[in-house]
Amino acid sequence: MDVIIPPIPDTYDAYRATLRSFIAGHTPTLQWKQRTGLRVPDDKADVELLRTYARAVYDAGYVLDRFSTGRGDPYEQRILEQELGAAGVPHVLGNPLVAGALKHFGTDEQRAVYLPPMARGDHIWTQLFSEPDAGSDLTSLQTRAGRDGDDYVVAGQKVWSTWAQWSDFGYLLARTEPVEGPAGISAFILDMRSPGVDVRPLREMTGTTDFNEVFFDEVRVPAANMIGAPGEGWRVAGASLAEERSGVGGGGGGADPVQRLVDVARRHNRGGRPAIDDSAVRQQIGTFAARARIQRHLGQRMATKAMTGQITPADAPLSKIWFSELNLEMAEAALALQGARSMAGESDELTFEDGRWQDAFLYARAWTIAGGSNEIMRNLIAERGLGLPREPRGQS
Amino acid sequence: MDFGFGEDQELLRATTRRFLTEHQSLADVRRSMEEADVFDAGVWRRGAELGWTAMLIPAEHEGGSVTDQPLVDLVVLAEELGRELNPGPFVPCNVVADAIARFGTEVHAKEHLPRIALGEVTCAWCLSGDASPDPSAVEVRATRAGDGWRLDGVARYVHAAGDAALLLVTAVGADTGGVVNFLVPRPSAGLSERVLTGLDLTRRFAEVRFDGVSLPGNAELAGGWPVVERCLSLATVLQAAESVGAADLLFTSTVDYAKKRVQFGRTIGSFQAIKHRLADLLIELEGMRAAAHYAALALGDGLPDADEAVATAGAYVDDAFAHLSGEALQLHGGIGFTWEHDVHLFVRRAKVNQVLYGDGAWHRERLTRLVEAAAAPAGGA
Repeated sequence: MDVIIPPIPDTYDAYRATLRSFIAGHTPTLQWKQRTGLRVPDDKADVELLRTYARAVYDAGYVLDRFSTGRGDPYEQRILEQELGAAGVPHVLGNPLVAGALKHFGTDEQRAVYLPPMARGDHIWTQLFSEPDAGSDLTSLQTRAGRDGDDYVVAGQKVWSTWAQWSDFGYLLARTEPVEGPAGISAFILDMRSPGVDVRPLREMTGTTDFNEVFFDEVRVPAANMIGAPGEGWRVAGASLAEERSGVGGGGGGADPVQRLVDVARRHNRGGRPAIDDSAVRQQIGTFAARARIQRHLGQRMATKAMTGQITPADAPLSKIWFSELNLEMAEAALALQGARSMAGESDELTFEDGRWQDAFLYARAWTIAGGSNEIMRNLIAERGLGLPREPRGQS
Repeated sequence: MDFGFGEDQELLRATTRRFLTEHQSLADVRRSMEEADVFDAGVWRRGAELGWTAMLIPAEHEGGSVTDQPLVDLVVLAEELGRELNPGPFVPCNVVADAIARFGTEVHAKEHLPRIALGEVTCAWCLSGDASPDPSAVEVRATRAGDGWRLDGVARYVHAAGDAALLLVTAVGADTGGVVNFLVPRPSAGLSERVLTGLDLTRRFAEVRFDGVSLPGNAELAGGWPVVERCLSLATVLQAAESVGAADLLFTSTVDYAKKRVQFGRTIGSFQAIKHRLADLLIELEGMRAAAHYAALALGDGLPDADEAVATAGAYVDDAFAHLSGEALQLHGGIGFTWEHDVHLFVRRAKVNQVLYGDGAWHRERLTRLVEAAAAPAGGA
């Protein structure tokens, strides 16, 4: 039994140093106030600055494996993830979920045409899955794509599409086959500049605009833009969604959130003393610390199971629930520690850490709902993991 | 990166499971639990042949492990013993053997380790007056008497003390006020114990009294409080693994029951209220497993975060087991409330594991201290 990731050899110090100075020399200064979570810039100029940055990184030969059909040197990949992650600005533009779909189900031509520009920031992607009446119950989606000569013609509506307002391409699920349920769904690459595509940014409870509604009015998509075969879209999506869920499970990044919480407890009083001296607070922090460590160990176990082919259908949903509920509870606890100070709005000068925790609290619901709500995750665990009977479908 | 068990460990698991099924299954434990003693010396000796007490003992003293990760080997055994709610002194024997191997003299090792490894001698650890891991709770006083020592006082809630031939006794030195640990043979003059009726029906705990027990000078195990800390860490990990094994079996049988039990013309496992609760229990169980396995790995291999890993297991695992067992009982409904059904035995085991070797609150406080030490000092407000 071993979870030790081999340390990066000293011989890579030069690679890291070169990369670090490269990043320092190219990191753009943005107008956008960055927040926790998967957030989207609200300013076009910032998007262009980020594109320029991504392009410079790619052109210098720094390419993450997720955008590549090959495999880079594993140590270089780790350093790349670490250093790009520490840069303070996003290095992945848009929702890269389609990369996994193209790798597993795309044609060689699709991979060659779409993967490099995605890595280079030339193509920003969005995901066109959820609909107003098909959220948790995604297989009941109603957006249609009817065959017409060499094209499909798309009509319908999507929602919860991150980055759609800045996207060049969309990863679309639509109904092509004359059957209900998953077997009728196909996956497409959709040019977001096609006539008939209407993107309407959606302002969320956080006050920010990280998601969009997207409407299709007789949008023509070449049949060659299908990913996989007709009716295979649900399998294509399943493969990439599983990737997203495990990604969501590992979400966050940056400083250890438990240590941030300790900092909040040190800097706020309870009963005239620093809250960190209060035994109830200490117990709560101990509970969070244990759950946060276990989250890491669950990830390590999942990685081992993936290598030995022992992944079960319960694993990714389980990690997603573990992370998203812990994340929410910690944000709630951080606000409670701040007492009445937590009522100050995000932009008020009285807020602690520039309103970080107010925003984290509000945004936490994106993690418990997106990528399949936690209730759907529990169904998946019970039905696919434990073999309990499936939920009956109602009559509509 | 590999966070699973090796082939040899899986073989150890299979062998242990077969042995317990044949010789000391939960059904066997049930039969003995209403008798005065649940310990079966014959089974224990044969278990020792399978390595139950040998993993942490050096080869020159009849010990030896299956792999080069003896603590992970022990986790396999603990999980299997936990599944059958085994009454045996698995945790104290390994804890005391480890303490002797690490802190004892060559004389201690020669005298005790081979006999523990072979299962001829079982052990108990007299920690304190209320079983809490706190020097101020230690109620046995050690007074110097000539070249030796004299022990007076009491230790309570001591697992398997009524069967043990060797006690590890944590005491407070009357002269220094510091913690001193002793190896005490049982029986000894002035040493007596009262076996408690217990909430956990499948194990026996005792109140152990020391009334002028005299010991030679070489009965001391050098090291003081750090010996206790090491024993606690090891006991926490082994007990966590035992809880994982017990919880795993209980959870699986609860899922099976939900698939079979029919009410309102459907299996109760088809109701979403039940499905979601079972899903939550699986999440809890996998969390317990990840915490226990990582703690064993970290403590065994001496990883830099071993203290945090052990505290995490202590903070989470037994409280989760208690919650899971309560839910398992509830999901069984009326049948779970009967004496004949096994589920209450798991509920009882879990409730007792919660308070042994530092309760959840104790480990959470410890973990908070470790996190505080790692967090950068507070800046300006």
